Amino acid sequence: MAASQSILGRAGIVLALVVFVFAATGPIVWLLLSSVLQQQALTSIPPDLSPSSFTLANYLEVFSSAAQLGRAIINSLIVATFTTALAIILGAPAAYALARLEIKHAGTILLMVLAAQMFPAIVIAIPLFITASKLGLIDTKLLLILVYLSFNLPIVIWVLRGFFMGLPLGLERAARVDGASPLQTFLRIVLPISLPSLFAAAIFAFIEAWNEFFFALIMTRQTAQTVPLAISAFAGQYQTMFGQMMAAAAISVAPIILLTILLRNTILRGFADGMLKG
Amino acid sequence: MAEATRALPLGTGHRTRHARVAPLFLAPALIVLALLLAYPVLYSIWLSLTDASLSAGQLDTPFSGLDNYQRLIGDKSVLAALLNTLYFTVVEVIGVVVLGLLTALLLNHPMARWSGFRVFLLLPWAIAPVANAVLWKWIYHSNYGILNSLLLQLGLIDHNVTWLGDPFRALNMVLLVDIWKSTPFIAILFLAALQNIPKTLYRAARVDGASTFEAFRFITLPSLNTAIAIAVILQTIWSLRVFDLIFVLTKGGPADGTVVMNFLAYRVTFNFLKFGYGAALANIIFLASLLLSIIYVRLMNPGAPRGR
Amino acid sequence: MNRLPFIDRRSLIKTAASGAAAALVLPSLSRPSWADETALSVFSPLPPDPAPPGAAKFSEEAFAAWQKANSAKVTYDMVAWPQLHDKMATAFASGEHVWDVVYMSGWVPELAKFLVPFAKNLPKELIDDLPKSSFSTVTWDGQSSGVVFTLSLLTLFYNTELLQKAGFTAPPKTWDELKNVAKECTRDGNYGWVLNYGDPAGIGGTASYWMCFLQQAGGKLYNEDGSPAFNSDAGILALQMMMDLMPYSDPGSISYVGINDATNVMTAGKAAMMMNWPFMWKPANDPASSKIVGKLAGALLPAGPAGSASIDGTDAWTITKTSKNPELATKLIEFYLDKDVQKRQAIDTGWLPIRLSVLSDPDVQKALPNAAVVLEQANHPYDSYVTPDYNEVTVALGTEINKALAGKSSAKDAIAEAANLVAAIVKKRG
Repeated sequence: MAASQSILGRAGIVLALVVFVFAATGPIVWLLLSSVLQQQALTSIPPDLSPSSFTLANYLEVFSSAAQLGRAIINSLIVATFTTALAIILGAPAAYALARLEIKHAGTILLMVLAAQMFPAIVIAIPLFITASKLGLIDTKLLLILVYLSFNLPIVIWVLRGFFMGLPLGLERAARVDGASPLQTFLRIVLPISLPSLFAAAIFAFIEAWNEFFFALIMTRQTAQTVPLAISAFAGQYQTMFGQMMAAAAISVAPIILLTILLRNTILRGFADGMLKG
Repeated sequence: MAEATRALPLGTGHRTRHARVAPLFLAPALIVLALLLAYPVLYSIWLSLTDASLSAGQLDTPFSGLDNYQRLIGDKSVLAALLNTLYFTVVEVIGVVVLGLLTALLLNHPMARWSGFRVFLLLPWAIAPVANAVLWKWIYHSNYGILNSLLLQLGLIDHNVTWLGDPFRALNMVLLVDIWKSTPFIAILFLAALQNIPKTLYRAARVDGASTFEAFRFITLPSLNTAIAIAVILQTIWSLRVFDLIFVLTKGGPADGTVVMNFLAYRVTFNFLKFGYGAALANIIFLASLLLSIIYVRLMNPGAPRGR
Repeated sequence: MNRLPFIDRRSLIKTAASGAAAALVLPSLSRPSWADETALSVFSPLPPDPAPPGAAKFSEEAFAAWQKANSAKVTYDMVAWPQLHDKMATAFASGEHVWDVVYMSGWVPELAKFLVPFAKNLPKELIDDLPKSSFSTVTWDGQSSGVVFTLSLLTLFYNTELLQKAGFTAPPKTWDELKNVAKECTRDGNYGWVLNYGDPAGIGGTASYWMCFLQQAGGKLYNEDGSPAFNSDAGILALQMMMDLMPYSDPGSISYVGINDATNVMTAGKAAMMMNWPFMWKPANDPASSKIVGKLAGALLPAGPAGSASIDGTDAWTITKTSKNPELATKLIEFYLDKDVQKRQAIDTGWLPIRLSVLSDPDVQKALPNAAVVLEQANHPYDSYVTPDYNEVTVALGTEINKALAGKSSAKDAIAEAANLVAAIVKKRG
């Protein structure tokens, strides 16, 4: 592929890479900088980057403020983890069924599943609130897990279905010849080799659940508040504590970054197979 | 779709077993989805057929038939929102797909092997939308936003620009942020597709004397057909749902310049408390998304029989 | 694995289990349990936006004492101010009981059917100590369903240093003086005026600012029958005044969607004057975020043809109809309005008291020098024209005003168009 690479060509690529890194990380770097600067320094022109303006006060205040970031992180972790786990546990078999087992009207079912994640949140917020309230589920992590499940499940089913369809048939055929039931085939043969795609779907579901704001706002009160709510707490009406909000955002993005770094290769492979076999 | 690749030449016993077991695999997920969404969806459809308003103690819902939808058609603000949505969606889809493709091509280059680049790519996607919106509000600030600072220092502008001060310019600035946030997912999609193209094709092309551009046009692009189709449809559906960004950056302003359908539905429902009309607006958005997803499914399987 | 004779697996498990049980039980034991404890739920914004004791850090001991004396347990539901209305709308639409006491800002007429008209049950001593006109924004259809707890009127704030540099030792007192001062102060990269014109809706939105000027020009929003009365000289003059200030204003004003955006420009020392709520005093004198510590001063809003006028921020407490303990809720609100609590509210959090006696308290006046200015402003009209469809009206009005400020429409056309839109909305009010 790199047979005749002129100096100009290589320089061009390097330039493009520099632009890419700047574009992708620039705003994030600014976020981090803002979180360790005093607001005073940020409102200077140009921003006052002298050593005296740097402070960790924003981070300290974030944890002592009424926004309860610490508890929000725990809530978000629990909600996102369970949503993801449930989405995989329910979605993988469904995806396998739609991919390999004979289902009547599979096309329509697939369409309905896909459509399930296209409702604007405004539409379903009020009826969901009414139902949840009557069931006493308001302000519980369980409610959030269920609500997030409703729009993560379709994506998981869809990604995994594509992957399962791309698996070579030989493995499953061999298993059947050996007398394995579809369930055994699924659990013992298909799942183990699908781990990359399972991870990819899991990451997507996790990030979506971690970052969701509107339902978290409507469905929680004090105990089940999640990270996006804690972050939004710093943007009030009469005053916005920008530095603290950026600090809260930096803290909240850290677990996601960690996860993406650890799983960067599996994510890539998982999406490859999931998307394209449609 | 499934049917084409599922025609396994096996005995009938196997098929019967499948038919029995399949519902067990599928049922849990479908039941969960139905339980969670059936009632809200039906409720919202019904709500759009009423003149719902808050009154002593609860929501009053006198039936009004298709009144809301009729009003929708004649409402100037709906027309304006539709135009904004059309512009926003078309530009965002084109922007994300083109940028995503360029980024994928770049990261697929042998010089960009380092996995750190992929982590950078994922950063915009990972950041919480609420924090992202406030961050960009600060970046766009006309007085001490870093964007004006940088452009001034680079000499590209000679005085501060009020990025969010003009309706059309504000719409474009919001677009910029959302494109920035949405490109990573699509870029990864393309990157994965690119890595699936056999290298032998390129080698053969080079042997035949093809230029880089010709290789791109006759090998790369056709292989990416499916991926591009998926990207277009997915991004369209997601563009229709933009909300957090507009809420924080512009609240629909200036002068309603950044009001898109989803934001209008929110404003009507939660600011004006016109729950029926808002539900009608939201249902329009849903219908548009549904139509697009039908197109998507069809695109993936041209000629496959609908259902069975 | 039984190295130590008295620690074997079984006893370890037993110890762990009893430890866990103790951990679960002990906390509930340490909190003294009193019989018949009533639970009250309060919905309030997060500090530093206006919040009550227990939510914001003031009068904590008094609050604990009140709860004990009344056998009550008060819990706070707090969200960021911009999210309050959304959550309220959902809760009320569902018909479920969620809160007993709810914070409101300009939404009382809109949600009056869900609120208890408890104001008449307040002790006379308290009512006499409140400004009469503070009830106008929380009264609808003759019923007073709320009580304002902080005197929050828009007043003029100015940077003494920037004014001095332009040769002024006193703040402007009339519209002409305001234009002149703004003009002279627009130099050296600074602006004479800054405000947030980006969000048309509600109190603190573009339309509400124009209402100040409207009243200063002697106009009013509605006629007796509810139809728009502002398509008049006063309405057009008011908008024209705002447009005349634009050349000397921070151009970003047209895009700022919240008062805090404009406040930031002021505290960065880039603007000479603005209208703001009394609360501004605190952040402007905080060295961590402000460059103008000690340089801020307050004054009456400059007088138009009919004198000075302002609008009410109307931060109020209300009680929901679904509450099972409206009497206790009323008592809680009386506690929030207690003289000492109001004093601490002012000194510790920067939110002025509403009680006239506390406003004239020398300690309060010393801690918040702009209290005197706000008190004086309260002697002039300050109608916020709040109605049930306030959001719809202000969005229609504010959008037209925004267009005129951006130079896309003339004052006359904008007001005329706004009057048409508002008339259509009012017709539906019925």
